[in-house]
This record gives sequence, C-alpha cells and structure tokens, in this order.
Amino acid sequence: MADHPGTGKSRLSLHRRGFLTAAATGATAAVVARGAEAQTSEATPAAGVNPRTPRPVTLSVNGQTHEIGLDARTSLLDALRDHLRLTGTKKGCDHGQCGACTVHIDGKRALSCMSFAVMAEGHEITTIEGLAAPAGDLHPMQQAFVDQDAFQCGYCTPGQIMSAVACVKEGHAENDDDIREFMSGNLCRCAAYPNIVAAVKQARDAIREG
Amino acid sequence: MSAAAPEPQTNQGKPVPRVDARLKVTGAARYAADEPVNNLAYGLLVTSDIARGEVNTVDLEQARGVPGVIGILSYGDVAEIAPPEFGNASYTSLGPLHEKKIWHDGQIMALVVANTLEAAQEAAFKVTAEYDVQTPTASLDSDGAEVIEAKGNTERIKEYPAVGDFAAAFAAAPVTFEAEFRTPTQHHNPIELFSTTAVWSGEELTIYEPSQNVYGFRSAVAKQLKMDASKVRVLSHYVGGGFGSKGPMTPRTAIVALAARKFGRPIRCVVTRQQGFTTASYRAATRQQVKMGANRDGKITAFSHEGWELCSRVDNYVVGGIETTTKMYGYGAVASKVSIVKLDRQTPGYMRSPPELPYVFALETAMDEMAEKLGMDPVEFRRVNDTMKEPIKGKPFSSRAVMPCYDAAAKAFGWSSRNPAPKSMRDGDWLIGMGCATAIYPTNVAASTARVTLHADGRVRVQTATHEIGTGVRTVASQMAAEELGTEVEKVEIEVGDTMLPPAPVSGGSNSTASVCSTVLMACNQIKAKLFEAVVKAEGNPLQGKDPDELTLENGVVLAGDGASLPLGDAFAAAGKASIEEYAEFTPNAVPKDAVKKLYDGKTSMAEEDKREKAMFAFGAEFVEVRINARTHEIRVPRIVGAFAAGRIMNTRTAHSQLMGGLIWGISSALHEETEVDERNARYVNRDLAEYLMPVNADIKSVEVIMLPEVDTDVNPAGVKGLGELGNVGTNAAIANAVYHATGIRVRELPIRLEKLLAMS
Repeated sequence: MADHPGTGKSRLSLHRRGFLTAAATGATAAVVARGAEAQTSEATPAAGVNPRTPRPVTLSVNGQTHEIGLDARTSLLDALRDHLRLTGTKKGCDHGQCGACTVHIDGKRALSCMSFAVMAEGHEITTIEGLAAPAGDLHPMQQAFVDQDAFQCGYCTPGQIMSAVACVKEGHAENDDDIREFMSGNLCRCAAYPNIVAAVKQARDAIREG
Repeated sequence: MSAAAPEPQTNQGKPVPRVDARLKVTGAARYAADEPVNNLAYGLLVTSDIARGEVNTVDLEQARGVPGVIGILSYGDVAEIAPPEFGNASYTSLGPLHEKKIWHDGQIMALVVANTLEAAQEAAFKVTAEYDVQTPTASLDSDGAEVIEAKGNTERIKEYPAVGDFAAAFAAAPVTFEAEFRTPTQHHNPIELFSTTAVWSGEELTIYEPSQNVYGFRSAVAKQLKMDASKVRVLSHYVGGGFGSKGPMTPRTAIVALAARKFGRPIRCVVTRQQGFTTASYRAATRQQVKMGANRDGKITAFSHEGWELCSRVDNYVVGGIETTTKMYGYGAVASKVSIVKLDRQTPGYMRSPPELPYVFALETAMDEMAEKLGMDPVEFRRVNDTMKEPIKGKPFSSRAVMPCYDAAAKAFGWSSRNPAPKSMRDGDWLIGMGCATAIYPTNVAASTARVTLHADGRVRVQTATHEIGTGVRTVASQMAAEELGTEVEKVEIEVGDTMLPPAPVSGGSNSTASVCSTVLMACNQIKAKLFEAVVKAEGNPLQGKDPDELTLENGVVLAGDGASLPLGDAFAAAGKASIEEYAEFTPNAVPKDAVKKLYDGKTSMAEEDKREKAMFAFGAEFVEVRINARTHEIRVPRIVGAFAAGRIMNTRTAHSQLMGGLIWGISSALHEETEVDERNARYVNRDLAEYLMPVNADIKSVEVIMLPEVDTDVNPAGVKGLGELGNVGTNAAIANAVYHATGIRVRELPIRLEKLLAMS
C-alpha cells in the first residue's frame, strides 16, 4: 500500500496478486480477483477459459457425491458453505491463518480456504458433519471436546476437532508438548487451549482402546 | 470430576456439560453467517486506504461491469437512512457514506453486491477512488491531537473519584512513587468474522448478525432506517466470540439492510478479517500517571491516578477505570482524572474488561514497585492496605475476599519458595521470575425479562433474548430453571438471541449470568406460586388445604412440610392445567423504574453505583511464573495460578473455562497483543491473524483456576457476581512484576516483548 506522507492525491488501489500466483505461493487469499492494474488492460483472461463461467464440479464430501456449477475462483470453503450448505466448516480469516476451516482431504487435514474447490475434484473430503452420524454416537474426539469443555463460543471447534483427529492419526499426540505444537495451527480466541490438550489425550486413549 | 469440571464447593453449581455442546462439536450450531437464506446475494465492503482526507471521486464503472454484479451503494446512495447515534447501541455516530470525508483508516466507501461472492470480490477490487489526502494524527503522542476532559464531555464520567487532600498527603508521605504507564491499541479478533445478513419480507426486515445486544441492534437499525422497531427482527442464535466487539452495532448493518431493500435481494455481507480491524471498535491505547505515597509501615496515605485515552474525532468514548482503581485499597487521600485524546482513528469501544484491564495494570504494577521501595512482600503490602470499605464514599463492600484469594493462590503457587531479590532465581539459561497482582471487576446487574413454561411432564422452556457468546448462558439459565422447578437440565429447552423473545440486557459488563438467572429464578417462583395455589384449592388431593407457601417442588414431586406429596403430573391434573407459562420482569435495585420499558426500546439499564448502599465487586489474586532466556530474552509463562471469589458459581465447568480463558487473555495482553499503527499515515499495519499476535496452543502451559466459596446475598437474587471479565484483570501486572523479578527490568508499557527487555538491559 502506498504511503501518504502529506496532503496530495491518492488512488485507492487494492494490490492483489493474480489468483494463480496466489494459489501457488499461498501468500494471499486463494480466491481473489486480479489486481486492478492488470484488469484495466484485460477484461477477461486471455487463456480462453473464463473462470467466472460456472463449470461443473464433482465433489465427494462425507461419502456423498455432489455435482455443482462453480465459478472457478470458488474456494473449497465457500463451496462447502455456500453451495453444499455444510456450514459446520467456518471462515475465520480466509487466509490460512486461523484453522477454523480445517477439513480432511483424503484423510489428511487441510485448510479449505486455501484450496480452490475445483482442486478437490477426485479427492475424498470429510467435514465436521461427516465425523459422526447425525443422531448417533459422537466421534471419540467430539465426545472428548464435550467432556473436557474444550471450547466456549464453539466457532473454532469444528476446525479444532478436524485437526485433533488428524493430530492423533499422525502420531503427534504422544505427549502434551507435541499436542500443543501440532494443534497450534488452530486459534481459539476463547483460549480453551489447556482443555483442548486434555480432550486430545482423552480421545487418543479412547481411539486406541477402540 | 476433572480439571475442566471442578468439584463444586459451597454455593457452587454442578459442572453440567454445556447444553449446546453436541451442536457445537457436530457443526450443527448455526452462527449468523450459517443461517440458510434463499436467493442470497453477496455483499462486500470497499474501504478507504487513507485515514484522513476528502473523497473527490469514486469510480464504480469497472466494478459495475463485472458479470454478476447487482449493484453498488456508495456516496449519495444512502439519503433514506440516518447516520447511527453514538451510545444508542452503536459504537460510532459516523455515517461513512453520508459525507465524502474520511475520518479514519479503512472507512467504508462502498458496498458491492453480486450474485456470487467471487463476483463481489472481483468488483470490490475494481473500485477506485481519488482523494485529497490530509496528514492524519495517528497516536497519543502525535502532533495534531485534541485533548479534552472526560468530565463534562462524556455521559459516563460525571465526577472524578476523589477524597481528602491528595496533594498535601502526597507531599507529606515519607515514601513516594510516581511513574507513567502505557497500554496499546488492541483488537478483539473473535474468530467469527463480523457479518450482516439482511432479508426483507414486504415492510418487515430480518437481520442475522453476530450480536451481544439484539434488542439494542433492533432499535438502532430501525432508527437508522426510519422504521418501526416492531417491524425488525434481529437473530443471533450463536455468537462466535464477542469480547465486546459485537456489543454495539456498526454502520455496516443499516447499509446492508438498505442495499437489500434497494436491490430487492437478501444480502449477506461477511466482513474480511482485515476490514474488521477498521470497521468496528477496538481497545483504546492509554497513557497513565500513577502517584502513590505511603508510611514506612506500608500504609498507603495518598493515591492519584490520571489517564489519557485515545479516541476518534467524531465521538467521545471514555475507557475510564479510575472508578475501579480508586476503590481498590484503603488509600487515604485520593485524586483522579481522565482526558480524551482525539485523533484520526475510528471510535474505540468495549473490549473484555474495558476500563479495568489498562488501569489495573498501572495500579498493580505500582503496588509492586511501592512494595519493593518499602522492602515489603507484595502480598503483605496488599494485606496492610486491604479494606472492607471503599475509600471514596466509605461504603462497605457487599463481600470482599481479596486476601483469602491471595492466601489460596499463594499456597497453590508456592509463593513462599520465592527469593524476593530481583535476578536471584535461575534455571540454566532461564531467569525465573514470580509476580502477583489483584483482579477486580465490578458486579453488574441489569433489568431483564424472561418467559418460562413448565409442562405437566416436567419439560421446561426458557425464552429470553440473551446471547450465547461462549459464556455458557444457555447452560446456566437452564440449570437455574431445572433446579427451581425440580427437574433435570436435559428436560429444559432454552431459546436465546432473537428479538421475538422477551428482552435481556446487552451481554457485556459480566452482567448476563446475574441478570438472566435472577430473572429465570423469578419466573420459576411465579410458576410455583401459581401451581401451588391451584393445587391446595383443588379437591381430592393430598395437598388440599395446605399452606401454598410451604410447598416445594423437587425431583418432579410437589412436597409439603409434613411429608405429604404429589407427583408433578398429578399436581397439574389436580389443578386442571397442562402447562403454566410465566413472564417475569426483573428490575434490580438501583436501576430506574422504567428500566424494563427502556430494555424493550433497546437500552440496557445497569444498577447504578451511586444508588447502591454497598460497593459490589468480584475479586481475585493471580500469581505467575515467567522464564526469560538470559541470552535471547524470550519470555515464557510456564504456569499461572488464579484464585477468585465471585459469589455464587452457577456451574463450575463453565466458570472455570471463563476464568481460564480470562487468564490466558491476560497473558496475551501482557506479552503478545498490540495493533501497530503507522505513525505516518495512521493506518493499522498488522491487521490479520498472522501479524496480530495472540497465543496459540503452544504458548500456553499450566493454568490453574481456584474458585473460592463465597456467599453474597446483596448483589442480586441469584447471588452471582459475574466473572467473564474478572480473569484477565491483574494478569498484565502480575506478569510485568514477574518479569521485573526475573530480570530487574521494569517494563511499564504493554505488551512486554523481548525487544523491550533487550533495549533496557
């Protein structure tokens, strides 16, 4: 952003990198328009494919297949929330900084705000809604979060739980310090951190005991 | 029982799991931006990249050309709405699109609306503007600030607390201390983003928005839209963290509602994390001067506290804090004053423990410094100056357990193992420091209403427009109803966060548990009175003819003093009723008579301090160990212990979580958080969650919370003092004092980061 040391003229100009760059570097939002300066000379991308034109995308989420039409710039997070109405996955920053949007892609934790939905085609996505049957028993991690009061407002919780399930699976839940370290990509502003550590331990043991 | 669910002691309720826990761990709890709305359009704000100037032109042409754009609201498009009113549930009086003038960084310049979020984003990036840029004033020390007194310019501070002749007492004191303290700008940053979803149905408007004040929002937005508040419904079923940021409405709400009406589409506008830093309130930076005089025996004889607080040009928000610090100890003579420093920044607002956090940091650091000057143990220095009467008006405290808190926390912490000399404790490369400080928070209670229904089968419904911001109010209000109506918590269904329900106060000032539970208690008593009266009059039942005042309702059975009993279902049958529904209006002592009427109009009336016969506060004592690397000056907090006395604890689980979260907020404020401002252009530099530092899991180690039993029947019928904000008061000073003990370096400016220690060592 330009500095404005004194009185004078300035132009509002929101510098963003082109979305392909963004996707490659992870340096900015996955879903952005091109910078204003680029857009002035290029109304539509030259490659011949207009990303705005809805294209059919097949997403496999929680074991169900969904065919939807999406703007190619749609993030996986927005596709889940706005198109599949799976709103358990939360948006906290849209920049991969808070972890609230954590889902599993092929069983591994991933930030859904940092992926385009089209990139998720052919992959198995699991969201918080897919962790346990709607009316049945909770997943041991969900139950542990309840037992250990590992949340207050609950907003970061789906992301915390998805991360925590992966954390155990990765073998990063062997001791408290490991759990703290490998759960540090998920911010909790209510600061339930000690209870989250307790919950991960409880669930780890419950999962092992089967 | 576990650390998360402590065993209840006297006057403490069971650690019932949160009634909404399942919804929260399955993703089924609906936050405002999760609510399904048909035919939704997406709104996105465009904000200024200067902090002061005039807008010459805003070029919307390119943005309008983006396929999928429905329309754009900018200057000249908002004549139908009024600007907000500061203090009327709105954090600022600034109507950002009403005049082409920029008052602060990131001010709203347009709202772009499109069929998809992606189109709205593309269009928003294509909005350009041309300004006449003026040099802004960025911070408390910048040239161009306007300084005014809080007294006479704000509603809140009518007089500065004072007693005796401070100047004379300070001059005569054998030991004196004087220093300046500073606290920074901070942003709440709840993980849930700010958002507004506006849906019109004919002349009726529904707003889904994260709110700590749905009735306040309703009346404020109705006023801006020049419509009858009864035609507006505000819903906020779950709030993803507020911490004060969602207490007052922002100018966005009415703009989104207007756009939805103009464009004939429901609109959802989710504010980006970056825009959240500039389009809502924040914690004002402060500069404070503390002067203290004492006798050699440790008795304080003079205390003065003066503050200068950052504010906007357009409003006079006051942090205050002197109302609390001047009542903390038996000081002798007291003087105080607050000034507002008006700059080119947006208006600040309430952030968790708004006045107490900055002002108690100064006081409790000063206490530690004075104790050292006197050669006293900091705990004993507080004991010498403990008082059961506040020193300004001489009112007795309704209850005050400062020293029991110190004793319990000191024991759990192992304070006796501390070598009092600075830089005396070390473990290899790590300097060890131990510090302590007092926590204090005023006990607030406000007028409130609720509707409670008891069915013959023991099911209960509680309805009240309070807000579930993570405090656990759904759970504790359900517990209160279950307990009073002799049923299980599982049988209670509770509805909150909707202006179709009876109004409750703003969820701020730690008043909700006290106010809502007192109201639910009242409604339950009305239900029992109605049921008992009908039962004793009904013929042919064992309770016929009994004194209704002697009946009780326990475990689904109505009981008489002589042992006669009747199951609840039979009692309802005898009374000829299927259910009893009671609406209660709770008007606590020391609120105006028309407080409930005002509540319906969106205005919360808290009990007024000067109308109370007693001083009412919750207290605590916090002990911290810091470890500071001797080479790098990296600062770590391996453990923190807090002991608190806050009257009746409704639920030891939810209370423990709030106090624990508060302590961690205190660590965060002491060591991490500061919104950095570029002096040259008055713009925020670190406006995202990567650059705005707050603790992650790895930053937090052992956090121990002790809840002392305390009974206080003066505060309110529920006996609750409120503790959502107590935990993070005092922590800053406890850490600053521990850092001094470890290093011999006294940092009086928050946050305490290693660069400050390096610069001073």
